[in-house]
Amino acid sequence: MASNASADSVREAGVGDPGWLQARREEAWETYNATPMPSTRSEEWRYTDVARMLPLGELTPAFWDCSANGTPSELQEAMERGRAGFAGQVGLVDGSVVAVELDDEAADRGVVLKSLRQAARDGDEGVEALLATEAVPASDGKFPALNAALWSDGVFLRVPRGVVLERPVRLSRWNSQAGTATVTRVLLVAEEASRVSFVDEALSPDLEEGTALAATAVEIFARQGAQVQYVSLQQMGRGGFYLANQRTLAERDSTLDTLNVALGGAVGRVDLNARLLGPGANSDMLGLYFGDDDQHFDFNTSQDHVAPNAHSDLLYKGALDGNARGVFRGIIRVHKGAQGTDAYQTNRNLVLSDRAVATSLPNLEIGADDVRCSHGATVGQLDGEVLFYLMSRGLRREQAERLVVLGFLGEVLSRLPLGDVVQNVTRAIEAKLRHA
Amino acid sequence: MDDFPILAATGLKAKVADEDLHILKGVDLTIGPGEIHAVMGPNGSGKSTLAKLVAGHPGYEATGGSLAFQGEDLLEMEPDERAQAGVFMAFQYPVEIPGVSIANFLRTALQARLENGEELDLFDFQEHLMERMELLDMKPSFAERPVNDGFSGGEKKRNEILQMAVLKPTLAVMDETDSGLDIDALKVVARGVNTLKAENPEMSVLLITHYQRILDHVRPDAVHVMFDGRIVETGGPEVALALEAEGYEEYRAAHAA
Repeated sequence: MASNASADSVREAGVGDPGWLQARREEAWETYNATPMPSTRSEEWRYTDVARMLPLGELTPAFWDCSANGTPSELQEAMERGRAGFAGQVGLVDGSVVAVELDDEAADRGVVLKSLRQAARDGDEGVEALLATEAVPASDGKFPALNAALWSDGVFLRVPRGVVLERPVRLSRWNSQAGTATVTRVLLVAEEASRVSFVDEALSPDLEEGTALAATAVEIFARQGAQVQYVSLQQMGRGGFYLANQRTLAERDSTLDTLNVALGGAVGRVDLNARLLGPGANSDMLGLYFGDDDQHFDFNTSQDHVAPNAHSDLLYKGALDGNARGVFRGIIRVHKGAQGTDAYQTNRNLVLSDRAVATSLPNLEIGADDVRCSHGATVGQLDGEVLFYLMSRGLRREQAERLVVLGFLGEVLSRLPLGDVVQNVTRAIEAKLRHA
Repeated sequence: MDDFPILAATGLKAKVADEDLHILKGVDLTIGPGEIHAVMGPNGSGKSTLAKLVAGHPGYEATGGSLAFQGEDLLEMEPDERAQAGVFMAFQYPVEIPGVSIANFLRTALQARLENGEELDLFDFQEHLMERMELLDMKPSFAERPVNDGFSGGEKKRNEILQMAVLKPTLAVMDETDSGLDIDALKVVARGVNTLKAENPEMSVLLITHYQRILDHVRPDAVHVMFDGRIVETGGPEVALALEAEGYEEYRAAHAA
């Protein structure tokens, strides 16, 4: 797509956009062209040879003709699942928003949930100022630049000052075709003292015959005292290539928690940067991945403590079976002057087969002296004593293994206060364990 | 099956798997239905190895003789098959399984006992578990805790007893379950065994212990002394009392001679 894309495709992508956005796309396109494709020579891409794994030149932009085809039944089902538990939801098919629902009560209180493209055209407050500027600008790298130039649509969610949404908002994405790419964005702004949870599901059928790229840039702003939870559930079918650039900006006394779950797809690469910009800001960062067959999951996280007296705590746990590969690379950066920082980082891996590989690279960069930081990483196998204990109660070996894996990954979910999500993910893990 | 003893070891020899370390050097032991047998011995005598061999621990390997449960060759069975046949071992050092609740664990263990395709009724299970906990005087919230995760020594042993109560074995092997327990915890274990024994008099018990004191609370039908991989003496409770008073010196002397 990108190698045969041209300035024309950027203009095409921006048809109907306001002038500032068209200009921003063109500038991003220049940045894209000036930025080399990440290679395994760079530290951050050492274990994911993206130039080889992602046949970008062969992909065409996905397009879904909603008026002719309606909403795919699988997506409809996904959106129906637990519908009552959500304050609003958005359906996104092949990069186009096909449905937006928001409870009247939330709308009456000034919550805005709409197509991001539409929000840009409507001139919604915050869109021009925040879209691809502070959080995931084109200058961040090859894929952020690609995204800022070519994004087709996405979600804009703004929760006004003091508004508390008790139920989460959900985005359900669907990629329908192999050989295509979707490029989308999420812009979430939680104003002062507001509260919101956002669930971002990526789904697709099994696309064995080729790659379906779901590239996304997620920009989240928690203003003073706001509380935000962002959950990404990557449950694409085989053939899916999930490429996410997530950045969270937490201001004074806000809470901005994230959970990344990777269960599906062929490749999942998530770049998550959490910025703690105000004193008292807090980010809990959870991750859970379970790979089998040839699945490849790569998480590149950073915790940027810019302000003093902020807190961040990262826990990523992964189980890897078959030929799967898991990569975790995380860094805590305590900036100069960020005294009183509390930052933790833990990555634990359970390797279930001889051929599966887990790589864990925790890192610290500390520029202040009064800080509490720790990092830890483990790669282990199933403990024979544990298996024997379970089998001595009558569990078959595979049942014992399943229970241990569920328990291991469950520690991450037990920290998440979203019951529906926990159930959904637990069921998906169980289904995957049965398949194994 | 009625004609067979519950457990029969004949000339049983065993070593540590992957090592040339021979521990059992010919053990003969027969336990009948409903009988409680205590096996005592100093450290390294092989008593714990005997327990682990009955349960099927992969770290030990039989090298001679036979070991049968109700006439079936135990040495040919996987640990889970032994458990399903009615063998239960209370561990000396129960392992921690973070993230897996006791209730979930026991539900899976009972589900495993059903035929393929048969589903455990969750309501029945919950009722059964609550009834078992009440029998053992345990709080229902105990079952929601992750298996042995952060448990005190006493709690771990209680958990072993609870599992035994839920799984209702034909043969319960207590592998030094009394080691490292204070007197209150010891009484909990003893009371548990006695309660289950009273409920099901047919249950047989192989009680491996280093100390005589648990035998004040659980009355054995037979006491065996194990030394250097063999059973060197068998008798009634008086054997244990004599051991308590005199130690293993007599056996050491005899062995050295």
